[in-house]
Amino acid sequence: MSKAPFIASPSAPAPSPPVRLHLRQRLFSTLEGVFHEEVFFLILSVFIGIFSGLAVVCFRLAIDWTHLALLGPLPQTHSLRLFAVPALAGLVVAALVLHVFPAIRGSGVNQTKSALYIFNGYIPFRTAVGKFICSALAIGSGQSLGPEDPSLQIGASIASALGRQLQISRDRQRLMAPVGAAAGLAAAFNAPISAVLFTIEEVIGRWSAGILGSVVLSAVASVVVVRSFLGSEPLFRIPVTTFKRPSELLAYVVLGIVGGIASVAFAKSIGFLRPRLKALPRWTQYFQPAIAGLLVGLIAFLGAPQVMGAGYDAMDQAMHGQFAWRFLALLALMKIIATTLSFVSGTPGGMFAPTLFIGAMLGGAVGGVEHIFLPHLTGSTGTYVLVGMGVLFAGFLRVPMTSVFMVLEVSGNYEIILPVIVANTVSYLVSRGLQAIPIFDLLTRQDGLILPSLEEEREETILRVEDAMLPASKTILNAQDYVDVSVRRVQDSSDPVFLVRMHPSGWNVIAREQLQRLFREGKGELTLGSVLPAQPLPSLYPDLPLDSALRYVNAYSIVPVVNRADSRRLEGVVTRDSVFQKYGSPAAHD
Amino acid sequence: MTWTLPKLVPRSGPVILLILTVGAVAGFAAVGHLVTRYNLNQQARGRKLYAQGLSAATAGNYDAAIEDFRAALTCDPTNSQYQLSLARALRDSNVPQRLEEAESYLVALWQRTPQDAAINLALARVAAHRGSIDDAIRYYHNAMYGVWNSNADSNRNRVRIELIEYLLSRNARAQADSELIALSTSLPRNAEDHLQAGHLFMQAQDYRGALAQFEDVLHLQPGNEEAMLGAGEAAYGFGNYTLAQHYLRSAINVDHEDENARQRLATTDLILKANPFTGYISDAERNRRILADFAQAESRLTDCASHVGVDLKAASGSGPSPLLSLQTRWNTVQPDLKQLSSSAETDLPDTIMDVVFQIEQQTAATCGQPEGIDLALLLISEKREATAQ
Repeated sequence: MSKAPFIASPSAPAPSPPVRLHLRQRLFSTLEGVFHEEVFFLILSVFIGIFSGLAVVCFRLAIDWTHLALLGPLPQTHSLRLFAVPALAGLVVAALVLHVFPAIRGSGVNQTKSALYIFNGYIPFRTAVGKFICSALAIGSGQSLGPEDPSLQIGASIASALGRQLQISRDRQRLMAPVGAAAGLAAAFNAPISAVLFTIEEVIGRWSAGILGSVVLSAVASVVVVRSFLGSEPLFRIPVTTFKRPSELLAYVVLGIVGGIASVAFAKSIGFLRPRLKALPRWTQYFQPAIAGLLVGLIAFLGAPQVMGAGYDAMDQAMHGQFAWRFLALLALMKIIATTLSFVSGTPGGMFAPTLFIGAMLGGAVGGVEHIFLPHLTGSTGTYVLVGMGVLFAGFLRVPMTSVFMVLEVSGNYEIILPVIVANTVSYLVSRGLQAIPIFDLLTRQDGLILPSLEEEREETILRVEDAMLPASKTILNAQDYVDVSVRRVQDSSDPVFLVRMHPSGWNVIAREQLQRLFREGKGELTLGSVLPAQPLPSLYPDLPLDSALRYVNAYSIVPVVNRADSRRLEGVVTRDSVFQKYGSPAAHD
Repeated sequence: MTWTLPKLVPRSGPVILLILTVGAVAGFAAVGHLVTRYNLNQQARGRKLYAQGLSAATAGNYDAAIEDFRAALTCDPTNSQYQLSLARALRDSNVPQRLEEAESYLVALWQRTPQDAAINLALARVAAHRGSIDDAIRYYHNAMYGVWNSNADSNRNRVRIELIEYLLSRNARAQADSELIALSTSLPRNAEDHLQAGHLFMQAQDYRGALAQFEDVLHLQPGNEEAMLGAGEAAYGFGNYTLAQHYLRSAINVDHEDENARQRLATTDLILKANPFTGYISDAERNRRILADFAQAESRLTDCASHVGVDLKAASGSGPSPLLSLQTRWNTVQPDLKQLSSSAETDLPDTIMDVVFQIEQQTAATCGQPEGIDLALLLISEKREATAQ
């Protein structure tokens, strides 16, 4: 890592004669020395966390205030406000999205990922402003969307703006968006571990040790800020959860299967409707959020006001057995419909909270049905609701690790870890089996972008050095061998080059012609070690990715592959041809 | 239209750090102000909704109260008082599905302040609703020894009384007895409390304890008719009929219309008149009572036999009805009655009265609870058995 100061001086100062520095100047100079890019980036991550946390606090207040002002503390069924408010707010949101903030449609996760991979970390600051205003209005007015994804994008946008202002290097600037995203998500969920994992699983799309520290610092800082203002109360009052008999895991397998199927249905409905609505004439986009709001209001009017907004209160009630299983199943279905409508209409807002809602209701419903047929099951409704939350998260968002930690972090209960892991894994596998492309990838492809994903990376077949490895020549020379002896030894071999085992370690290579030339020059009594260059030949290990061989095979005609436990033991060799042949490249035949 | 922040930031690490710090502090201050204003506004709205909820709960309209308390909690989600009231309303609404939610609210509150007596009491009541006697006892005890904001002693006694009533309703007599003993030592000198304790002792069938409590009331309020009646009942309960007669008469003197006291006194008078084992009567009186009781027993046996259709003259001794064997025993003992006055045979009164008591107990089992003199004889027999044990 570079130890250069993170900001290049416009002009290098002329060397000054040694003078006695004033104390203040010396302190300043010392501080300047500390601010190398790596350290500064970590410090900056903390500030990103703080500013994102502050923004998310304001965002949550804005949603609450809008909700109270427009719908009242507890929306009642059969109230005309349920129609009017989301529809009118939808008109306002549509106008703002079309004319003022065109980049804020959707959840914000893909936009952040695009910023990382396509736009060098650039997210306009107006995106944060637009996302804040429009999402608060949409969610507060009852659209079936959540505040987490917008929080993520607001955090990313703040981080990006800060990075630009500070003119940090392009590499760092690119990483600012995920650092801010982690902070925003952690603040919204009050769950730093899940936020870090989600950022790695979904936004960055690969494990990267270089950024992990910054992501963690920003997430922790933002959660500290949110807790200092809004308290450390969990999102839900966690009920008494029980898991007594391992045989009951089968009941959670059933929940995982149902959750996986529901995830696919949810994802497919969004994947089907979204491009069709986007393809409609532009003028219809003024009305799409309003119509979605009207339909969501209709669902609420007909008896399910719980589907409006993020729905955390309803999840809380479901956890405490407030709803019968039939109503829970109905709520899950209605929420899928409502969220699909809200999301595909282009209303800015997130899918995290609706996903949790659907999973929670589905979990409660499956638990209720299982209790009818298997009354001896010990798991309470609350347990199934909690596990169900993670099931949809794993199946729909395809983030299995995040889903497990999210449930554990939100519930603060490790007793249910086995049901959560089992159900989430089953749901993830069912969902992956029924729909190859995860929802976020599907959305980016619909937008004409191809972004990397951890899931693809996990499934990718990795070529390793051992795949391109050739058997080593039977003739291996030693550094102590004399040149004339070596010439005699290689006479029976047809190989053009021979590996030389150096002393005490390392490998080198010598060509047949070079050996014979040395012999002709009368250097037959010299050892190979004395005539070969001191720089040893690089070696590889069989388990390394084949990519790592590429940097050597052009420079060296043969590269030894050695055992990790004993570097003097030769496993085989790789050559330029063997490597390129494995990649199926025509270069192999050049 | 493109928005960019003005590029004012100087290119120096320490200065940037300083600016970021100042920005963060300013942000904290601004957001803190905003949050405070918002919270104050929300708290005011919450208080209004809470007051509506309290009114609804007081009127017994728990559904409306629950709605209001929930709405109040959306305004002030961490308010313990709102949570406690919502939990109480959920519990008192008598909807089984709501009990779990009530408990979760209370458990969350309890985790924050486990020493809070009101929360423990609410949890105890939820556990009692659930039928979980161990949890209920634990939470009632926590409430007793917990922190009360005011009137700690009287509240603790009130909780203990509630626990005793709960235990008695669940037939947990042994645990109720121990709580009663604790209660009797902690009561203030207050007639009402002693009166209530007396009734609880009566429910627990600890008649001596009950008598002590009622006598305490009579010390404090000598004319308290309820205490007199209670003392009479308690004395009657453990077989001190002389004392029972005294208190019951006193009760009737205060309230001539008390039919319950009159009936109890009539039975007590009969017991005192019919009991041959009373210490202060002469031998002649004792013999007279034995003869009268013996004759009464035969009469009761005949009535009962005819009531259930058993012919006492048809066979003797070995018939299937226990009444027949009792008739046989009565017939066997009858010739010995003449020897009563000779007083040579000291076991004879007991032998005769044994027959009387067996007849009264068997006829009570066969023909139902007797009245009048037969009831008196039955009670005397029960007391004799209790004394013998």
